Amino acid sequence: MKIKSLLIFGAVGLFWLNGSEAFANLNHSINLNPEATGTNQFADITIKGKITDKSGPVPGATITLKSNPGIGTSTDGSGNFAITVPADGILIIKSVGYKTQEIPVQGKTTINISLEEENNNLSDVVVVGYSSKKQGELSSSVSIISAEKLKGVASNDVISMIQGKAPGVVVSSGSGDPTSAPKMTIRGIGSINGGTAPLLVVDGNILGAYGTEGATYSPNDVESITILKDAAATGLYGSRAGSGVIIVTTKTGKAGEAKIEFSSTVGFNSPSTGNFKLMDSQQLYDYQKTFSNPDPSVLKNDTNWWDLATRNGMTQNYTVSASGGTEKTRYYVAGNFYREQGTVVNNDKNAYNLRANLSSQLTKKLKLSLLLNGVFTRNNYANSNSLGDGYLNLPFDPAYNADGTPVDPRITPTWKGRDVENFLHSTQYNLSYQRSLNLSADVNLDYNIVKNLTFSSYNRTTFYNTFAVDYYDKRTKEGGATNGSLYNSTTYKNRLLSSNRLKYENSFGENHLTVLAVGEAEKSYYDEANLNGKNLPAGRPVMSTATDIISNPSGGTNEYNFSKYLSQVDYNYAGKYFAIASFVHENSSRFGLNKSGGDFYQLGASWILSNETFLKDVKPISFLKLRASYGTTGNAEIGDYPSLGLYAIDASASYGGLPGARPDQKGNPDLTWEKQKTANIGFDIGFWNRIDLTVDLYDKRSNALLFKVPLPSTDGYGYIFQNVGALKNRGLEFNLTTKNFTGEFKWETNLNMAFNRNTILGLTEGKDAITPGGSQPKAVGHDIYDYKMPIWAGVDPNNGDPLWEKVITDVDGLNHIAVTNTYSQATRQYTGTSASPKFTGGFTNTFSYKGVSLSAFFNFVYGNEVYNNSRAYFDNDGLYESYNAMVLKSGWSRWEKVGDIATHPKPVLGGNHDSNQQSSRYLEDGSYIRLRNITLGYQIPTSWLSKIKISSARIFVSGDNLWTGTKFSGIDPEVVLAPDDNDPNVIPGSSSFRYPISKKILFGVNISL
Amino acid sequence: MKANQIKIYIVVLALIFSVSSCKKEVKPSTAIDDESALTNPGDIETATIGTYAVLRNATYVRSAHFLTEFQGDNVAQGQPSSDDLSRCYRYTHIPTGTHGANFWKQAYYVIVAANKIIAAIPDNSSADLKQLKGENLYLKGMMEFNLVRVFGRPYPQGNGENPGVPILKEGVPAGTPARNTVKEVYAAAIADLLKAADLMTVAKADIFASKEVAYALLSRIYLNMGDNANAIKYADLVIASGRYKLLQGADYASYFTKIPEANSETIFAIRYTKTEDQDFGAIGSMYYSGTPGALSTPGAQGNTGYGEIYASQQYVAELDKNPADLRHSFIAPYKINGVLQVNTKIAPNVPMYYVTKYNLQEGIANLSSPVYLRLAEMYLNKAEANAKLGNAQLALDDVNLIRTRAGIPVLTLAGIAAENKTALDIVLEERRLEFAFEGQRAYDLFRNNRPMTRNYPGTHALNNTPNTNITQTILPTDARVIFYVPQYEIDNNKNLTQNP
Repeated sequence: MKIKSLLIFGAVGLFWLNGSEAFANLNHSINLNPEATGTNQFADITIKGKITDKSGPVPGATITLKSNPGIGTSTDGSGNFAITVPADGILIIKSVGYKTQEIPVQGKTTINISLEEENNNLSDVVVVGYSSKKQGELSSSVSIISAEKLKGVASNDVISMIQGKAPGVVVSSGSGDPTSAPKMTIRGIGSINGGTAPLLVVDGNILGAYGTEGATYSPNDVESITILKDAAATGLYGSRAGSGVIIVTTKTGKAGEAKIEFSSTVGFNSPSTGNFKLMDSQQLYDYQKTFSNPDPSVLKNDTNWWDLATRNGMTQNYTVSASGGTEKTRYYVAGNFYREQGTVVNNDKNAYNLRANLSSQLTKKLKLSLLLNGVFTRNNYANSNSLGDGYLNLPFDPAYNADGTPVDPRITPTWKGRDVENFLHSTQYNLSYQRSLNLSADVNLDYNIVKNLTFSSYNRTTFYNTFAVDYYDKRTKEGGATNGSLYNSTTYKNRLLSSNRLKYENSFGENHLTVLAVGEAEKSYYDEANLNGKNLPAGRPVMSTATDIISNPSGGTNEYNFSKYLSQVDYNYAGKYFAIASFVHENSSRFGLNKSGGDFYQLGASWILSNETFLKDVKPISFLKLRASYGTTGNAEIGDYPSLGLYAIDASASYGGLPGARPDQKGNPDLTWEKQKTANIGFDIGFWNRIDLTVDLYDKRSNALLFKVPLPSTDGYGYIFQNVGALKNRGLEFNLTTKNFTGEFKWETNLNMAFNRNTILGLTEGKDAITPGGSQPKAVGHDIYDYKMPIWAGVDPNNGDPLWEKVITDVDGLNHIAVTNTYSQATRQYTGTSASPKFTGGFTNTFSYKGVSLSAFFNFVYGNEVYNNSRAYFDNDGLYESYNAMVLKSGWSRWEKVGDIATHPKPVLGGNHDSNQQSSRYLEDGSYIRLRNITLGYQIPTSWLSKIKISSARIFVSGDNLWTGTKFSGIDPEVVLAPDDNDPNVIPGSSSFRYPISKKILFGVNISL
Repeated sequence: MKANQIKIYIVVLALIFSVSSCKKEVKPSTAIDDESALTNPGDIETATIGTYAVLRNATYVRSAHFLTEFQGDNVAQGQPSSDDLSRCYRYTHIPTGTHGANFWKQAYYVIVAANKIIAAIPDNSSADLKQLKGENLYLKGMMEFNLVRVFGRPYPQGNGENPGVPILKEGVPAGTPARNTVKEVYAAAIADLLKAADLMTVAKADIFASKEVAYALLSRIYLNMGDNANAIKYADLVIASGRYKLLQGADYASYFTKIPEANSETIFAIRYTKTEDQDFGAIGSMYYSGTPGALSTPGAQGNTGYGEIYASQQYVAELDKNPADLRHSFIAPYKINGVLQVNTKIAPNVPMYYVTKYNLQEGIANLSSPVYLRLAEMYLNKAEANAKLGNAQLALDDVNLIRTRAGIPVLTLAGIAAENKTALDIVLEERRLEFAFEGQRAYDLFRNNRPMTRNYPGTHALNNTPNTNITQTILPTDARVIFYVPQYEIDNNKNLTQNP
């Protein structure tokens, strides 16, 4: 009820404000200066006019009387203003991002002014959630990436394009698989079991947490991306914005002649293997001879399984778009085809995207927008363990028969490899793919009820449907036991969202006020059905040919809903002082009935010092703004039913063919929102309009942290969702852009870096760690990703045994460190290292001369350790003689004889004292710097093009991931630095049988007719 | 203010407020509320099925099998593996071993699920409800006994005073319980089973509990405690019930491919239906690999299963003493064109004999409903108890019943005396042949304070220096005849102590 009364109060206030009497009162009360009217010697006249820039009207520009700044107004949404001043007065026209002008009135009653933009991006309009603002007027920490900056890296996912382009935004990809999306975190991990993916907002409406559903937009349609980082910015998405917000705005047409654009990019991908190398036959034979007796006949084969499992793929990306319109109606229509072949065989992604963005000013007051987007995707997956075999199959085993057909290891008694599989044989017949269709339709209305008051209704429906097939032919190893098997899975997801907004905007002298009230509701349904069959004829991967089933069909429906109210007041005075305050109340079905609602509030303020007279004359400083904000946000990404105590009634509870119910989840009706309190201070400073520096300091505390608290099994459940404990992320980020040369030869440099420190502050119930037994226990006083495991103490020079540290506590309670060669005796200790990097960042240099441009973009991560999990399989001191092994990295050595100081124990068949068990042995420095993209472009001179009626054309060649500097022994040091929402057993920051990332060389052309 | 303007405001406000009607609770579609799960007899019956389903979880059955059987000398691991099953086999346990952790977890999940139902049914309920309560008590007792055998020292050592596992009382929050003694856990299991037998009146199929199932398990428990009189008493109650018959001839040879309900010898089995096939994740995949298209013909390793745990050379030699022994049906030599294949991955190379007790139910390669109790055990429990009570002839009578069924010659007191063997020696040899691969062997030896000597090729030799020495002897007093309490449990329950 609190909320309703608040909104009613707000609505009454709006009525009141809009009444003519109220206006007079307010105007009167703002004209505080009693001399305002008394000192005029000339008669006052009323001046009307319009303020524009080169692209149209400038709303919100302030007009004041120089002799008495108490008299002033500002322009409305169409740039119009009216002001009553003495006929000999001088008007000062100011707007952020434009040069301030002084205009003598000289008795004129109509004055139209064209403002000249300052040479920076402060006047760029930025979409920040429910409203848009000029960049210079923001009070919060926001990073903006324009379409221009997204060029270069070729991907079908926008997120992978913004890696390293905004400070504090960590994009990490654990795979080069084109069908898998990267992970993204903003300002560190703020949650442990709650989702850590930022909220994605597309064209003004919430799409969902990043990664939770297929993209409903193509990178080619993106006009700009805004990343909201602090609470003042993310506040309006308060309840779900704890991990930050990404706002994507798609393109719209501009009034004028139709613009038809075509772009094409084609190139090649090759697998990047870094420092990693597997053994060939001779190397493996020599190695195995040190601990077993391999038959020399194995040397007659030397199969390079890695090369067979990987390939050079092709990337193609074509887009055609048409845009344009009239003053009243605008359109943007685009079609895109994207195809990327993965570097592992049989893996590719094919996507077709269509978009139509239409808007029309139906009447003077009513604007209608219709945004339609459809994406059709077909993903073909690597199957039959191709990559795994690439790593582990023995070079001793042959891939092909003499006649060129793939060897079937099952009928090859001499086969040596452990898994007795040859993916080349299986992938002749097996299939794995998914088709998906993703549609979204937005209908948006903006209605200007009266001057200054706008009602908007933003409505969206999305459909996301998938059909997945896994087929194992009866002729293959995978399908042999079932005589052919087929798995089909269908999912169907609908989302409905309606967001209704009332916005009041007005200026009173130099005071500019915006009040916003929003009511929003969202509902989602997710259905799935899975079925499988077996006994299929060879080569018929359809369900109708199956004559039996493997397991019972499964399926179900999930749903959730959210509803919220919010109100926001945004105020600025004279383009110098800015303040913003907001309040949000939200309910979600995901929380316990007792605690389903959450209240969130945000405050922000900023001060543009460079607009003050005392800084006006300090020439070197072209811009200076101080910002501060504080507020709360929340996290609701913990699945749909975490608070309920449940008995599962699915197939896992059935027995003997009878349906059953088994305890599955321990209930917690008091479960509620995880809340983040974020304080942010920062400044933006510009020198000579050449150097721009933005610095932010933040302190983000998560309270009532959502934990999946592990329970002893005697409780009967694996875990319970609880709100326990608190953690803190504190950090510093900066973004520095310098224009080193601005003449005909231009050189611009950008460096951004972010330093984040994560600490668990406290836990309830006297616990000192959330997962005390884990390799990242998440203990009080530690980073959530600090490692705890037996510490590797090297190799015993006397006998080549592995050694681990063993902490012995003496009678006085003092700890001494001894060593042991018995793994179960080794003490689990903090290693002093973490999967969290000390800093991350990006570095870009752009050079241009006439039509030629060259940009080189590096991203880097420093100070994290990666748990190189898969070394347990191919670097394990003889445990497996039936898997291939890695060539030791330079500087590593094996123990051979007494006295050897070695990094690797003596190889022993069957393993040397569990030397491959989890320990700091497999922790490696994960720091790297990568040349993420380098692009050389040439803008073909228009003089050449005009003859063939092309208005502009650009050609470019670009390279992705061409060079990586790292000490990491695996194929690639880049690891996913966020929890895996699907598999809690995956250690964040670990590397396991990595899919190689692609090195790409791409050639492209952009043509505009 | 104009009237139409007011109308617009009203519309706008109505739209904004319309949101409030959307707040409502949503429920999952594949689960039900735990508060309503046990409110009526129908729901309690459904939940009881759910307790059995926990038992069926592969992380229970499969891990339990590896923990119990792989300690024995009937199996040989044929190649190194980093799976924790190697440590079960090689006696190189670690506290973070996955199978111990799986087994502990699922066993307690069964107990907690059972306790919820036990607490929900008063002792004076209807016969149907009492039956369900009895079934849950049976499952709880079965778990208590299985847990204490894996994590607590054999009962005869220290007369049960060693640490066992925590006992959970129904209707009481578990909290962070400490370990009870082995003796206390045995007593709790016996009490639960006696009460279960008392409450159960329906002769349910052998995939569910009934009175005789409780009796059969009581016989096994008493035998492990050394209470020979009770071991005989409860075995006799099962035999006398007439519900079970020893399979004969071809029926016996196909014992483990039958579905349990069609098997008159099985007392209790954990039922896997066709649609619950675990394929490569099944117990049987470790033991057997068939030929696609002709699954019952042994094929190459990796075809339909991993096929890396074989019948040990020692076991095959015992079995081969009587070539007519029907129990040859439960092992399958891997031959190509009639030539027995040898495993070249261990030294010395050894012929590959697959084990088939966990495969080919209903013709499906890795499908099996693991047998937990069967009638033959009742006879051999009696035989062992009688042997230890000095009733050698009675012991031989029951042994001979089993030998006759297997199609091999009977034994006489004189004959065994001539071989310098005791009746107990004979009973244990027969139990070895009969219950091979059924998780009994290590317990048969250790409860009788006998060492186990493996003297055959297998990865256990990799423990030795040099590893050409294939002998491994495990004394019953060895610390590793039981498993470490899972590190996860110790980390999350400070009252649990670790085994040395």
